[in-house]
Formats: sequence, C-alpha cells, structure tokens
Amino acid sequence: MPVDGKEAGPASQTILVVGGGIAGISAALEAAETGHDVVLLEKGPSLGGRVSKLNRYFPKLCHPTCGLEINYQRIRKNPRLKVLTMCEPTNVAGSRGAFTVTVKRHPRFVNEKCTSCGDCAAATETMVPNPFNYGLDKVKAAYLPNEHAMPMRYVIAPEAIAEGEGDKLKAACKYGAVEPEQQEETFDLNVGAIIWATGWQPYDPNNLDVYSYSHSPDIITNVEMERLAAHDGPTQGKIVRPSNGEPAKKVALIQCAGSRDNNHLAYCSRICCLGSLKHAAYVREQYADAEVDIYYIDIRAHDKLESFYQKVKADPQVRFVKSKPGHIRVGEDGRPFIHGERTIDREVYDEPYDLIVLATGMQPSAVAGYTPQVGLVKDDYGFVVPKELEDNEGIFSCGVAAGPLDVSLSVQSATAAALKAVQAVRQSA
Amino acid sequence: MTETATPTKPKKPGVYVCKGCGIGEAVDADALANVAKSEFRIQTTATQDACCSDEGVAAIKADVDAGTVDGVVVAACSHRVMADRFRFNGTPVVRANLREHVAWSQPPGEEDTEMLAADQVRMAITQVQLTLPPLPSQVQEYSRTLLVLGGGITGMTAAREAVKAGHPVILVEKTDQLGGWANKWAGRMPYRPPYRDVQDSGIAKLVEAVKADKDIDVKLDTRVVKTAGQPGAFTVTLSHGGQESVVNVGAVVVATGFRPYDATKLGHLGYGASPDIVTGVELEAMLKAGGELKRKSDGKPVKHIAFVQCAGSRDPDHLPYCSSVCCGVSIKQALQITKADAKASAYIVYEELRTPGTAEEFYRQAQEAGVIFMKGKATKVDAGAMQVSYTDELLGTEVPLAGLDMIVLATGMVPNSTDPDVPVVEPEKSEAQLKGDINPFSAIPVAGYKPGGAEGPTPPAMPHLDRIPEGGPILNLQYRQGPHIPVLADGFSDSHYICFPYETRRTGIYTAGPVRRPMDMAESAEDAAGAVMKAIQAIQGSKMGVSLHPRVGDLSFPKVGHEKCTKCRRCTVECPFGAIDEDETGRPIINPARCRRCGTCMGACPVQTITFDNYNPQMVNAMIEANEIPDEFSEKPRILVLACENDAYPALDMAGINREKWSPYVRTIPVRCLGSVTLQWVSTALQKGYDGIMLMGCKSGDDYQCHFVKGSAIAKERMSKVGETLKSLALEKERVTMAEVSIADSHRVPKVLNEFAELIGGLDPNPMKGF
Amino acid sequence: MTAPLPNPGKKYDLDFARWVYDNVNGGDKMALCMQCGVCSGSCPIGTNMDHGPRKLFMMIRAGMQEAVMTSNTPANCTSCYRCVVRCPRSVPVTYILQDLLAKQAELGYRAKDSNENIAFAKSFWWSARAFGRTDERLVTAKYYWSFGPAEFWKRSMENLKIALGFIKKGRMHIGMPHSVKDKKGLKAILDKAREIESRG
Repeated sequence: MPVDGKEAGPASQTILVVGGGIAGISAALEAAETGHDVVLLEKGPSLGGRVSKLNRYFPKLCHPTCGLEINYQRIRKNPRLKVLTMCEPTNVAGSRGAFTVTVKRHPRFVNEKCTSCGDCAAATETMVPNPFNYGLDKVKAAYLPNEHAMPMRYVIAPEAIAEGEGDKLKAACKYGAVEPEQQEETFDLNVGAIIWATGWQPYDPNNLDVYSYSHSPDIITNVEMERLAAHDGPTQGKIVRPSNGEPAKKVALIQCAGSRDNNHLAYCSRICCLGSLKHAAYVREQYADAEVDIYYIDIRAHDKLESFYQKVKADPQVRFVKSKPGHIRVGEDGRPFIHGERTIDREVYDEPYDLIVLATGMQPSAVAGYTPQVGLVKDDYGFVVPKELEDNEGIFSCGVAAGPLDVSLSVQSATAAALKAVQAVRQSA
Repeated sequence: MTETATPTKPKKPGVYVCKGCGIGEAVDADALANVAKSEFRIQTTATQDACCSDEGVAAIKADVDAGTVDGVVVAACSHRVMADRFRFNGTPVVRANLREHVAWSQPPGEEDTEMLAADQVRMAITQVQLTLPPLPSQVQEYSRTLLVLGGGITGMTAAREAVKAGHPVILVEKTDQLGGWANKWAGRMPYRPPYRDVQDSGIAKLVEAVKADKDIDVKLDTRVVKTAGQPGAFTVTLSHGGQESVVNVGAVVVATGFRPYDATKLGHLGYGASPDIVTGVELEAMLKAGGELKRKSDGKPVKHIAFVQCAGSRDPDHLPYCSSVCCGVSIKQALQITKADAKASAYIVYEELRTPGTAEEFYRQAQEAGVIFMKGKATKVDAGAMQVSYTDELLGTEVPLAGLDMIVLATGMVPNSTDPDVPVVEPEKSEAQLKGDINPFSAIPVAGYKPGGAEGPTPPAMPHLDRIPEGGPILNLQYRQGPHIPVLADGFSDSHYICFPYETRRTGIYTAGPVRRPMDMAESAEDAAGAVMKAIQAIQGSKMGVSLHPRVGDLSFPKVGHEKCTKCRRCTVECPFGAIDEDETGRPIINPARCRRCGTCMGACPVQTITFDNYNPQMVNAMIEANEIPDEFSEKPRILVLACENDAYPALDMAGINREKWSPYVRTIPVRCLGSVTLQWVSTALQKGYDGIMLMGCKSGDDYQCHFVKGSAIAKERMSKVGETLKSLALEKERVTMAEVSIADSHRVPKVLNEFAELIGGLDPNPMKGF
Repeated sequence: MTAPLPNPGKKYDLDFARWVYDNVNGGDKMALCMQCGVCSGSCPIGTNMDHGPRKLFMMIRAGMQEAVMTSNTPANCTSCYRCVVRCPRSVPVTYILQDLLAKQAELGYRAKDSNENIAFAKSFWWSARAFGRTDERLVTAKYYWSFGPAEFWKRSMENLKIALGFIKKGRMHIGMPHSVKDKKGLKAILDKAREIESRG
C-alpha cells in the first residue's frame, strides 16, 4: 500500500536497524545471529553511539569499550550483518515484509580502501571541534573517529574540503581511499522489518538559562564530564577546571537539569542520578581531598542499583543536598556559585565550586530527526513506540528512542525488538 | 551442512608480508619473507604494498583457489581489523601483527624492531601450521521446543513470543491456573503514551490467547523434578499429580517471578497488629474485588489511608535492594482510591520517590488527583492509634499521621530463583551457587586510601547478603556443579554484565521477569521476548554446533584425551558454565552445547590433555618456542606476554594506533581468556630462556569484567603456585607476573610493559637460555 | 464564602491538605509540588519568610493548619514570579500565596502584627486609593509613621541622603502629589472590586 507517497517495494526478508548505538548494535546482532540478513544504518562515521563516549558504566565502573569490543568481534564474524555508516533514513514506505526505505548517505570523503594509516591526518592543516569530545578540544579535519572506531576508518570533515585541502589529502593517501569529490547521495533499501534505535541527544544546557552554562567554562554537562574523565578525552582523563586546568576538587553535580521539569523535559531521564553517582566516584578516585556535592530531588537508584547509591553515600566527602538550585552565578573570582535552598534545613546557600556538572537529561533524537509515519507513533516527548502492541506491523523501536533507559534496559529492549523483527520477517515469508 | 572432507592442518601455508601503513619503512619485508622461506621452508611467500587492497586480496585468493596454499599468514595489521578482507572459504588464516605491535609502536629500522617482526612471523606460521579447521559438534536429536517455567505474565508472554517466531512451547505452571500474580491485580501502571491512567492488566486476554494457542502445551499443577542435557537437547522430568514424565526441549526460559517479602518480618511496621494494616498485595486484592474500599476490622469506609514505602526494601536488615515497582504500585493504588472517592486522603510516605522515565507522568497524575506525598522514613506504626509516625526530612520534625483508616505496607519483591516449597538438594553445591560471587556493596575506589590499609569508605553492612535464598532448585539441573542457576548476591538470577543482560552462566537457560531483576509488567513482557530471542539462538546454535555468546559462531570445542586424563576433576570444577560433567568413574564429559569456548578447562588441566582444534596447549607451546631467543650476552631480554584477546590485546592495539612505544623485547600471544592459560606455557617459556612472563588480562574481584566469569581470578590463583616452579629453576619470583588492565588502558599498557621490561632488565638473564 | 477549616485546633490534621487543595486558589496545582525547593531557592526575599513557599507547602501536606494559617510567608511574597517561572511542576506559587493570605484574613488568622510588609501594603494602598498613584514620599512617610514617631524619625534620617540624591537628579518631584484625573471613576472601580471579592 502506498505510504509516505511511495509505492511498496518488493518483498524482503532483510531486517533494517536504524541507529548504531548500543541498542541498534545489539538488535542487529541478535537478529543476525538468529540467521537473518541485517542492515545496520549509522549516521555518524563510527558505531558505538553515546556509549562509546562514556568513560565508564555504573554501577561496575567498567568500560563501555569492553562490551563494544565483544560486539564488534561479533560483527566482524558475522557476514549476515552489513554496516552502513554516514547513513540515515529519510523516508519509510510500504508495510511488513515489503518496506522501501530511502537512505541518505553523507559524504565521508574516505572510501573502504582506507587502512587507517593516518597519512591524511598528517597532511591536513585544518582543525575542527572534536565531535567525539563534544567539541571540548580540536582534532585534525582528517581523523579517526576514536581509537576504538568501528569501522576502523578515517573520516574527513567537510571543513577540510571547504578549505581546499581535498586534492592534497587525496595525494597523501597511498591507497586511493580519499575521495574529495564524494557528494551526498540517496538510495533505496528493500527490507522486511525495521527496528528504530535512533537513541538520544543530551538536552541543550543553553535552554536552562538560570544555570549559566554559557557563562563559564567550569559549568559543564554530564556527557562532557564523561569525556573529561576519559583517558582519550581532552584532558587524558584528568578532571580539571576547563577554565584554567587546575584540579577540580570542589565539584557540584546538579540533578534534573532539564529532566522532571515541565518547562524542559517533563519525564525523568532515569540515568542521570546514577550517572552523577558515578561522576562522584570519578572525582573521588582522583583526589583524596576532593569534595563532591550532589544536588537532587529524589535519588533514583532503581532496583539493584541501590547498592551503588549506598556505596557512594558511604563516602563522607560526597554530600547529598536535597535541593533543586535556583540559579548559578559566576563570582568575581571566576568561580561559579550555586544559589538555592537546602530543603532539609531550609538554609539558603550560595556556594562556590571549581566545577559544576549539569546532569542534563536524555532527549530522544527523534525530536529533531525523521520518524516514519508508518507503524510508529511519537509520544508527547518525542519517544517513538509502535502504534499497536498487539499487531506486528513489522516496525519497532528500542533503546532510548523508545524511552529513557539505561544501557542494560536498552539492550534488553533491543533484544526483544530483534525477536519482533524476526517474527515479522518469518511471518511474512 | 553437506559432507566435508576431514580437515587437516595446513601443510603448505603461504606467507604474505605487507609493506603498507609504515610497515615497509619500519622493517625489511623481504627479510621477513626470507624468514618464512629459510626457517620454515614456506614455498609461497610474497610481499605486497597493501595486503588489504583489492589486488593484495586477489593475489592471496588466487593462491588459495589454485591450491598452492592451504593456510594463510597475513603479516600486516592486527586481526581486529580487516577481518572481512582476509576470509578465504574456511582456509585457516593467521595474522602476524606487524602494524600496531611493530611498525606503529617501535622505532623504524632498528635491529630490535626487525627481530620483533621476525618473531611475529615465526609465531604466526607456527600457529597456522598447527591449526585444524574445527568441525562443529553435533547435538543428537535436538529439539526446537522451548520449555517456559512459570505461567505468569512473563511466562505466558514468553510462550506467545516463541510461538510467533515458529517455536513450540511447553509451559509449566506449578499452580492450577495461568496468570500468576497478575490475576490478583486491579489494573496496572500505564506503559503506553500518554502514560497517565491506570490500565487494564490485560491478563484475562493473555490467558485466553495462551490457552487457545495450539503450539503451547500448558501443563498446570506441574513441577520440574530435574533437568539434564544441554542446549538443543535438554531432558526435563516433570511431575504432575505424582506422575512423572519426561519432555525434550531445546532451551529453557525461567519465568518463576517473585514472591512478596514476608510481611510477618515487618513487625516493627505493625504488620499483624491490626487487620487494617495490610500489604500492598493485600490491598490490591481488595481493590480488585471492587466496590467501596472498607476496613477489614469494622467495615467502615476508608477515608484516610497511608502507604509506607520501602517496607522491607532498601533496608539492611531485610532487602538490600530497591524493589523498583513499589512506588509505582502505591501511586496506582492511591490514585484508584482517590479517583473512586474524591474526599479520601491518601498519604504516601516515601524516602526517595522512584518513578523513573515516563512514570514521572503517572506520579504527576496522582498528585493532580490529590494524592499526598510525604518525604521521610516511617519510624513507627501504632496499630492502636492507627498512626504512622515518620521523620519528615523536609520539616525536620517527627510528623504523626494519626487516625488513619488503613495503613498499607509497600512490601518488596523476593525473586523466585529458588523454590521454598522444594527441599534443598546437594546443600554444599547449592550454597556455592546461591551465595553470589561478588559483593555489590564493596567500597568504591577512593584516592588517599592506601592499599593494604582501609580500602575506602565503608558501605553499610548488609546482613541480607550473607543469607542464602531458602528452598530447593527450580530446575534441579543434573550438572556436576550443582542444581541451581547461579544467582547474584542479592538472590536474583541476573547477568553480571551491563552490556549483556542475557549473558547467563547456564547456556541455553534464560531467566526473565522479576526472577532476574525487580521489574513491572511491561518490562517483564519485554524481558520475556528478549529471553526467548536468546533461547531460540541457543537452539539454533546447538543445531549448527557453534558456540553462543560471546564467542558466537565458534566451531571449536574442547576435547578430552581420555588416555592421559588423570580424573583430577579440575576441569569439571572450574568450568564457569557448568559444561563439564563426570561419568561414574570421574572422567570428564564435555557438553559442547553448554560450552562457551573460553578454554578455562584447558588451562586447568594439569596434563594438557584438553584441546581445541584451533587452540591448544601444544600450539601455544610451539609458538612460544618458535621465537628466537638471543643468547645471554646479547643484552636483549625476552618477555612473553599472554594477553587476553578481549581487553588486553585490544588495549595494546589501541596503544599502537596512538603510536605509543613500548619495549621491543616483548612477545605477545593473544589468549582466549587468562583462564585458558596453562602453567605449562609458563614453564616452557622459562625453559626456552624468556627472562620474564606476564599474564595480562581483565580485572578480577567484585566488579570483575571477565566474560568467562572468573578467568582472571583463576589465573591469579594458578600463578600463585608458579613460585615453586621458579624456585626449582633457581629463578626470581618477580619474573612471572600478572597485570590487570582494562580495554580502556591504551595509554597505560605501554607503561605496564616498560616497567616490567625495566625490572627484568635489572635481573640477570635467564640462565636457561640456549639449553 | 470560604469553607471553614475541617478540624480546627488539631496540630496535625489529615484533612487539611485536601482542604487546601480544594479551597485555595491554585491549591490543586500545589498538589503537584515535589519539594525540590527551587521556589524558596529563587525567592529574593525568602530569607525574610518564616518558612518559604516550599516548606509551607510541605506543612500543608503534614496537616499543620495552625502553623500554616499564622505563617508570614504568604504576606511576604512580592509577586516577582521567579518561583512560578522556575517551578518544574508549573505550580502557581504566587497565586497560592496570595490566596492563602486572603484565607488567613478571612478565617480570622492574622499574620503577625509586626509584619512590615503589611504596613507597607497598607501605605501603598492608601496612596493608590487617594491619588490613583503611589507617591514615594507619602508612601514612605506613612509606612515609617506606622512604627511610631521615633522610628519614623530614625528611618527618615537614614534615607535622607538617598532622597536628596533623587531630588537632585530629578527622580523625585517636590510639591503636591500627582493624582489621576478621574478619581471618581477610580473609586467606582475599587468599590466594584471589593464587592466582587466579598462574594467569595
């Protein structure tokens, strides 16, 4: 049937997964390992999504790279799974068993011949804000997305082409991998089932004007804190004040910076409390004399993650302040001050910090991006859920595209979505 | 699969040396090809500008297709990249890492760099010559049927989902009806947009669907007596009305759910002192019954009701965890009461209100309806005055809520990972399986606390963790290691891994629903689908004879050379997945479909008689011996690093990618898991003349990261015994060491290696050199 | 008419919260408060309040009717709306406080007599009624006078320098107070407002 103005394509048994973060990777692998052909679309140059930019996970404080490595090994071994980076869907037509998906491919300016030798990076003089570090530092405009990139292949930022470096970079590559002439292109994919795993973006801290994000480099977001603490981040893992590079020993973590707020994100993002507990652990692991204040409304360490809360709470140098701060001001000494009411004793405080971390929430990427009209529905927040739970329409969502979930729950939902997709193509066969 | 010829080890491997990515500048590629020719008599050798280029791959493929070579050594980049380029129809391929581990991490053109590269080639050729392309292990008479244990919402959903994917189901329920707890629920929390209103539980519809499904064989009043076999071929003995029967199934989904925490243990909260002090479950039944909510004691309508949250949960003396659903359930109940009677005052006394995600909207709905939320810990419940006293944190004072008509204790969830109605079997093995191998409350690492002294701030004592879940096994597994599915310290049968919630320690058996983690109905249903997905894979995997997660698709499996086996039972004890049983004489019996191919058994075997076709003690021994050991006067020590391929080896690769430098004396061999390292490799290396040996793998302890459960811990234990070997050889004990690293340690691993190299450089050369 | 308190005299009354939810303007929205404290933390004069809005709302929930009805928090609110703008649950804090203040008066609970804000409000309204304008000199003078002659003198002298500065810059005029043209019309409006208010 015609949907989105297009006729349905031919029948297909292939499963399309949109989004190459932890949810999309998991869904794609689970389906492929059950014997189905899978195409995984990722709009960026590397898989891994948000988790690849996390330093560690709560509650184990282990590294996301570990799980990604296992997943990448699974991908490398599985010929049924095809990964397409720099690609995002722009239209979905058709129905279960016969979807036609229009895909836009952004130019990478580097083809599959790339060996990741790095000669192009050596040749370029253009620097661009490093997307892997949320722009906290700069990177050569011909760059490896990160040291654990999958695929292990360079990407050239359009800025380098705009600077006229295309021919120089092409000449620098011994393997014929640089293609400055690449253009954006579109193509169609015929698939039998679709899993929407487009994930999330950090809520824009500039919307929280009372928290003065743009007024001080020492006011950062939780995702930036992850990069600050990561060995491959802008500070090689040292938690310092971005303003002057001094150790950040008095740190405030502000919960619900956007979440649980009718003016911003009306839902609870679920992960921020635990993320901040983890950030407290990061700081305390680095500085014996560090003090961390966590400003919160409710500490939502749900289910077994309660133990992580108890562990962090046991540290007398981590204080829990039940208060949603009123505002942040930048003091005369350049340090940011948090102002508000401590609800437990009704004291009004005005406290200076070396570093303030806003625990901004997760906003579904679907808020801004394309969402299919067929089979899926967007809720008031932008989360994408199947239209009907009872009928298998052949199109599903998982991970944070479907709701604010942590990694474990995202993988759980991805595994379930993979089964639904498998059912869809098997039933349409 | 069609018949294939019995595979053999490559007799004429080809060696292809790459000059790309700086390799050609760092080392003499032709000299490396000569090593292959002169030392190994390799007929086919070539140097290429870029092995991974279309021309490079085509050249290799041409040799394979022509039958000139029957094994391939690609001396180029790490095996972690370009894997798809170097696949030649099942022909064994080994990669000698000349890029990340040589060209990118060593100074170009130096003698030591050349020597390292030559050794990389030697090891790779040796490895490929000893690689037997594995044939799959076949499970006899495999079954496509799933056994689902538990007829609640999780179990029924699992059954329906499996059928929709084309797999028949046997659904076993111990009571006389389907539905489980949901039968008693008066509606459920919202799980669909707009997430506002109480929704119908939908349980009646689901029960009907299950009953009507011809592919679901519902067995009520039935229990599992015992479970034997392996994925693809489990034989499960069921008991119904005293009659036993046996069914064959391919995989098992355990959906045994939860039981409410025993409220009689909550005397301090007044339970039992008044009929009007009830649990959330009891209130739910009253709401389900419908009509005006009345006091049990005198039938008067309930106008003032208080909910006491965390009744048992988050309490060191009761349940250490948050039961996750109680906030939502109390909100639902309070909302239902307030909606039914606009004059009713419903108080919810909470410490932390936990309505994560979109459940926040439900919280707002309850507030809008007039439900009153009080933050504080309930200190006393007085049954006489029907009073809840709590310390209001926000007012800083004790507040009495007196003259209540009803008090509700929001009791938490206890997982049914054991069955209290079933007797304990094999108490010692059971205890080991139910104890949990990690303490989730162990202290976080904090700067300033010295090793050896206090480790860090001390989290509260959790007496609950010392308790063993009561009752007997739910599946009664006939496994050497005991009858239970191992549980975590809190009693839940969950995965220890964040990225892999279904990474069970009993292959082919997957828990779902509240037995795995406290969860609500919507999540349980989703979890059921997830578990079914893994169960289906287990069935397919067993059919194809391949490994499941994490070494998905691995065809190799351990084989025991029974003529050498001493029946020491180390393999059967140490297998992290309970894959090895014993026959009556004590000989190990491998269940390949349970096995995850980590090689822990191989590392455990004192006589090295457990082998994989493509990974075995003899192969690594030969690789160790293949390297050239310069004599003691050369001042070129040699250090063997056995690096776990899941984290240590990738970390080294990434160090190379970052162009970090490390000692050229290091020779690295990737291993499947440190658990697979046999002590023989250490003694081989010492006898060969290596000056130092390092095992490099992941973290052990309470936040261990080994995906084979305890590889690092086992290796550590084994290494503690190396001291005597060293002593017998009159060698210093610091020559053999172990380094715990993580995959994110790319900046640290070179330092770890360099420090060890420096230490070894300070010792006299190993006197065994040249023996 | 305002409904009477359900159980006057009880220190903790289980019915009080619902009474506020049902009877105070915006009270139903107050039920949405999650005690985050952003209102009190944002309040420019919160430290002058005995409880501040956040704690007052909690006291309402705890049924502390006596303490709530005698609190000076409602009277101190200057209606700057910072709390309303920042409240994550869209609670109209300002309206609630205003109506609570009205309820305090209607039900015979007086806010503390020493409350300076009430004195200021009275002066303000006197000027507004008399001239349809607020005259800084007269409002200030009347406000200071309400504390007695000694206090009047003391405070006036403290502010003399500021006043002179204003006059010098032309910020404060000297002479008769300005007045609106249609004083009669103003009176009619105010009378009508009073009438509507008394209807309850």
